[in-house]
Amino acid sequence: MIARLLIRIVALAALAYLVLPLVVIIGASLTETSYLAFPPQGLTLKWFGVLFDDPSYVSAFITSTLLALAATGVAVLLAVPASLALARYVFAGRAAVSSLLMSPLVLPYVVLGAALLQFGNDFGLARSFEALLVGHVVIVMPFVLRSVLPLLTPEQRALEEASADLGGRPLTTFFLVVLPQIRGGIVSGALLAFISSWINVELSIFNTTSALNTIPVKMFNYVQYTIDPTIAAVSAITIVAAALVIILLDLLIGLDMLSERQQP
Amino acid sequence: MTAPRTTLALLLFAPLAFFAAFFLAPMAVVALSSLTTDEGGPTFAHYARILFDQYHWDVLWVTFRIALATTALCLLIGFPLAWYLVRIVRWRSWRRACVILIVVPLFTSNIVRSFGWMVLLGRTGLVNQGLMGMGLTERPIRFLGTETGILIGMVYILMPFVVLSVGNALAKIDTALEDASADLGVGPARTFWFVTLPLCLPGAVSGAIMVFALAVSAYVTPALLSGGQITVFSMLIFQQYSSVFDFHYGGALSVTLLVLTLILVTLAGRIGERGRRAA
Repeated sequence: MIARLLIRIVALAALAYLVLPLVVIIGASLTETSYLAFPPQGLTLKWFGVLFDDPSYVSAFITSTLLALAATGVAVLLAVPASLALARYVFAGRAAVSSLLMSPLVLPYVVLGAALLQFGNDFGLARSFEALLVGHVVIVMPFVLRSVLPLLTPEQRALEEASADLGGRPLTTFFLVVLPQIRGGIVSGALLAFISSWINVELSIFNTTSALNTIPVKMFNYVQYTIDPTIAAVSAITIVAAALVIILLDLLIGLDMLSERQQP
Repeated sequence: MTAPRTTLALLLFAPLAFFAAFFLAPMAVVALSSLTTDEGGPTFAHYARILFDQYHWDVLWVTFRIALATTALCLLIGFPLAWYLVRIVRWRSWRRACVILIVVPLFTSNIVRSFGWMVLLGRTGLVNQGLMGMGLTERPIRFLGTETGILIGMVYILMPFVVLSVGNALAKIDTALEDASADLGVGPARTFWFVTLPLCLPGAVSGAIMVFALAVSAYVTPALLSGGQITVFSMLIFQQYSSVFDFHYGGALSVTLLVLTLILVTLAGRIGERGRRAA
């Protein structure tokens, strides 16, 4: 029983630890003072106004969003055929292909970012939207792959074969049978991909410029020199956006992966 | 019907071509430049510079020390939290709310989360106010610019990975196995040690590998919380590419970090595999 109580205390403390910084940021973004204060002194939304009046923030916001959308789109287009190949075929080098496509999950992003900058320099691609895009596609593709692959089960395969037996052509079968079955995996993978692209700093920082900047890189450069309520306001926006996306995800696919246990 | 071979080639062509062009080729360029001089001749000088310089070993040691401590603390705090969520919480909605709370930080940028700690850990931040209010310390404790500060931020950022992967493993354990162990007269502590723990080991190991790999290569959190006082390996790489522009030496540093990470991840994977087989 003591162990149980102890676990409860540690767990609740850990939850508080996870929530505290987010609460502090949102609180600090509402302060009326021109310096950062928590608890906030007075309540105002003026720092959000300052943000929307600053064209560099607006353009960074647009760059980040376009980049994340494009990277997710390309990643889905590449990951779906790749996962079909990996799930359906036994071929020489299958393990190598699978580890190659998954490896960005464990590789240092700093290394890949530096590599793309250097590589891009040789081809006149460096510090451009395209340079950012290809890097982001590489790092977000494993997320799509990882959520689509488990859905391509033997049972799912049986339906696919049934469709082929009934005379369905491969493309028809794909769009009418396979796609509806793996849609959930594509959606959750795509959301993870979008978010990972949207919050990335380590990879983007090498190929961004003051004119072509993403929100996280802009914040990173800013926060190293100045801490003020505007930066808390940008942060607060990203936290609220993340929370909304997660609640949406939870309603769509159910995030509670910890309740699978059969109750006796 | 197309032949399987043609279909396979069609399916794999685009993803493999993309990875070859924008992942393998850039990495090859880095590896190549790490082995060449400005004139293009082959050399090991850049690696020798890393190998024979005490400074690099110091930085590596700091990096790995922080990553190891981060991994250990994540497991130490994350395990009880996962246990609590899976085994103790009875009310489904609260568990659901907790899962959301754990995932929200994962979906927020490292910057935002580290920034939160910059505010909290400052001289007049909430943490110091709290500590002084409780009379635990006379003067504010310096967190920013110390390894403790970096550690607090890193554990914060990476713990959700452990909670989710351990929680997943715990949720899948058939409790009948534990009941059987209890029926055979084994005490709860021994049941935990010999039945439950081995069963969730693969989950814990995969979570730990992820945390370790991310911690070794972390850049943003150490950069923001170190206040320029502490250098980790990824900062060296960034310096070379952003201000010194020595791509040869930077390349050698990148390859070093890459190889070390891969070795450690593979090793940890092996250990996890052995644990699984033993279980």
